[in-house]
Amino acid sequence: MSYKILEKKEIAMRNIWYRIHAPHVAKKVQPGQFVIVRAFKNGERIPLTPVMWDRDEGWIVLITFIRGRTTMRMASELKEGDELLNVAGPLGNPAEMEKFGKVLAIGAYTGIVEVYPIARAWQELGNDVTTLHVTFEPMVVLKDELEEAVGRHVLETVPIDPNLDFPTNMKNVTKRLTEKVRELLEKEEYDMVFMVGPAGDQRAVFNVVKEFGIPMKSDLHPIMVDGTGMCGACRVTVGGEVKFACIDGPEFDAYQVNWDELIARSGYYTDMEQRAMQEYMKALQGGEQ
Amino acid sequence: MAVKRKIIKERVPTPEMPAEERIKSFAEVNLGYTFELAVKEAERCLQCPYNYAPCIKGCPVHIDIPGFISKLVQYRDDPDKAVKEALNVIWACNSLPATTGRVCPQEDQCEMNCVMGRVGDKINIGKLERFVADYAREKGIDEELLFEIIPKIEKKGQSVAIIGAGPAGLTAAGELAKLGYDVTIYEALHEAGGVLMYGIPEFRLPKSIVESEIDKLRKLGVKILTDHIVGKTVTIEELLQEYDAVFIGSGAGTPRLINAPGINLNGIYTANEFLTRVNLMKAYLFPEYDTPVKVGKKVVVIGAGNTAMDAARSARRFGAEVTIAYRRGPEDVSARVEEVHHAKEEGIKFEFYINPVEFIGDENGKIKAVKFEKMKALDERDSRGKRKIVGTGEYVTLEADTVIIAIGKHPNRLIVNTPGLKVERGKIVVDENLMTSIPGVFAGGDAIRGEATVILAMGDGRMAAKAIHEYLTKKREEKENA
Ligand SMILES: Cc1cc2nc3c(=O)[nH]c(=O)nc-3n(C[C@H](O)[C@H](O)[C@H](O)COP(=O)(O)OP(=O)(O)OC[C@H]3O[C@@H](n4cnc5c(N)ncnc54)[C@H](O)[C@@H]3O)c2cc1C
Ligand SMILES: Cc1cc2nc3c(=O)[nH]c(=O)nc-3n(C[C@H](O)[C@H](O)[C@H](O)COP(=O)(O)OP(=O)(O)OC[C@H]3O[C@@H](n4cnc5c(N)ncnc54)[C@H](O)[C@@H]3O)c2cc1C
Ligand code: SF4
Ligand code: FES
Repeated sequence: MSYKILEKKEIAMRNIWYRIHAPHVAKKVQPGQFVIVRAFKNGERIPLTPVMWDRDEGWIVLITFIRGRTTMRMASELKEGDELLNVAGPLGNPAEMEKFGKVLAIGAYTGIVEVYPIARAWQELGNDVTTLHVTFEPMVVLKDELEEAVGRHVLETVPIDPNLDFPTNMKNVTKRLTEKVRELLEKEEYDMVFMVGPAGDQRAVFNVVKEFGIPMKSDLHPIMVDGTGMCGACRVTVGGEVKFACIDGPEFDAYQVNWDELIARSGYYTDMEQRAMQEYMKALQGGEQ
Repeated sequence: MAVKRKIIKERVPTPEMPAEERIKSFAEVNLGYTFELAVKEAERCLQCPYNYAPCIKGCPVHIDIPGFISKLVQYRDDPDKAVKEALNVIWACNSLPATTGRVCPQEDQCEMNCVMGRVGDKINIGKLERFVADYAREKGIDEELLFEIIPKIEKKGQSVAIIGAGPAGLTAAGELAKLGYDVTIYEALHEAGGVLMYGIPEFRLPKSIVESEIDKLRKLGVKILTDHIVGKTVTIEELLQEYDAVFIGSGAGTPRLINAPGINLNGIYTANEFLTRVNLMKAYLFPEYDTPVKVGKKVVVIGAGNTAMDAARSARRFGAEVTIAYRRGPEDVSARVEEVHHAKEEGIKFEFYINPVEFIGDENGKIKAVKFEKMKALDERDSRGKRKIVGTGEYVTLEADTVIIAIGKHPNRLIVNTPGLKVERGKIVVDENLMTSIPGVFAGGDAIRGEATVILAMGDGRMAAKAIHEYLTKKREEKENA
């Protein structure tokens, strides 16, 4: 099977758009599901979310945020016309499609691209959907698409302060995110909140939502390997029970999630990931690639 | 054919890499026979008559063992011919001899029954099987045989979908292709092979061997669609519309966890995750390969089956001090004798009669120790004939910065959730023809047995192929007569 890259472009800083030939996924995928991609022979399997698709033409769109070695390698080594080695899926359960009423769907950073297909489907189903995107100024994506797809799209950007290190900059995003959520929930009555984004930001938002007692669903992103329920890497504690995010999720009730555990598990390989990235950057600079 | 034979009591040993050396790499431990050594070992076989030979009875797929062994002796002056003839005999029952020669628990099967055991060492059947397969592969003899078979295949004009490319699915696919059916395998992972690829480590079963066995299937015309998860990418219902029959060989891939506090601490791996990272994703070559794995200095592996041995010996190769903790006693260890022996040689410690009750973490959510309850065995036996065990109320704590859970697995949930598919205690229910509750859908291997062995999965694959052939022949005839 060939997973040809039909189109590739940088749609915002560190956000890369890939339109990929993957008819087996395009035919079946529903909002809320993901695929597992392996791009290189010595590469990792990483989960990514189809953002748009065409069932007849057999393509899907993936948007990646360049975080570490794999997303970086994909951005720098793959060109239009190249092929990904593997695109497996669709995996995970589709998002629940119901009439919830007034919904606030939040995406932090590139998380918004995963919100898009779900929010759009909810709106089409007759919900009144507000999407909130909070990110760094140069990283805005899918603004026009969201404005067209949902009732109201709220965009909040934070400038990147070059005098601050990255973690401190990210704290500013978290701060703005929670302030904005509080503001929206104080002004209007929402029936449900949904969020995609880093686990730390999800917990911060959940702590606000909890005060208002509104139901909240979270799309969880633990580290995955196979994505089919075989390895157990993606396990999370939900309501005191061990669940596998890839086959039981990725969507869970935010009130039931053990956030501390999820955050600890997501960071387990940070040192190794940084090392891999550094070696890759060194190789790039040395012109070996 | 009662030729009088000289009895040679001692086994001809196979060379092995020394333990100190092998814990530094993932290269294969057992180096296998040369032709000369293989013939020497083959000569020891008493050539029990086919109808009597107890080794054949002990083999789950009934390979004509004296038959293939005799070829090595008979054509000793022409090694290529000897191997070709021997392989032909083996292939009649077993299409993956390089694999089974390496991983079958021979001591409980063919070799257990070998009559030579009454006077000396039993015949080293596994290593002879492996020799034949390896020599044939290296010399291209297997391809030669294959290309003799291919033109004789008569196309049936019917098609079969196989779910899962493990030993069960691969065997069924090969048999059905030889019978002239169009076969397509749907495999969830990016590589075919099942446990042979993602579970069993390189030092026991080199991946290039599995790949070459799969290559042969492709040459037989079998199509393999990787990245296709049945139950997600395509459903069994849809497969039934496109194919004339379906075989489920989806294995028992879901890891069992221990219901104890702290199970999700960082540093606690299921054996599946650990072995997948190491084998399939080659994490032992990080950062040349992108997938990371963390192996601490003190590793505790819980369980004592093949999976536990593989996890322990893999961890040892990262330089760790490794302890296998098992809640029962040494007599209940279910791993192959050879692997336990290799593990001990490699310096892996065994602790018996301890059962984990709590995983203790540090302030960062990382494992640092495991608390175990000491167990004791009663005289009473359970349904599997193992002595029952009970807790003693005494506890012991082992330090650990990595823990690997290897206490067993359940069948894959994505398949088991198929509407209309009868399942009992997680296992797919089949009739005596391996047909499931859905007409035209057959199943075998770990998916129906729970965790079993490679050869049993292959046996199911063969039997299902036969049953599918009968089923489809009837279908064909009904159509012709209608
Ligand atoms: C269901 C799901 C859907 C996702 N959809 C998208 C998407 O549409 N777009 C997008 O940009 N990202 C998505 N992600 C996150 C994406 O998988 C990670 O960004 C990617 O794996 C990072 O790989 P890397 O090598 O570039 O970075 P690394 O340096 O390996 O890791 C950076 C961080 O990414 C996370 N991560 C690393 N490996 C994995 C892994 N195998 N599985 C999950 N998380 C991992 C960890 O939090 C890690 O700290 C999704 C994750 C999940 C679980
Ligand atoms: C670490 C380890 C060591 C072992 N050592 C030995 C040994 O030494 N000797 C021995 O005899 N046995 C051993 N075993 C057991 C043996 O490997 C299994 O009994 C055997 O592999 C079962 O074969 P199978 O074909 O039924 O399933 P598997 O080998 O599990 O293959 C199933 C395949 O189906 C795929 N699949 C699952 N679900 C789906 C789906 N929904 N759609 C598509 N594809 C799917 C999987 O990805 C996999 O490739 C070991 C097992 C493990 C885990
Ligand atoms: S039982 Fe032993 S001696 Fe007899 S045929 Fe089999 S391998 Fe040879
Ligand atoms: S990613 Fe392996 S079980 Fe979910």
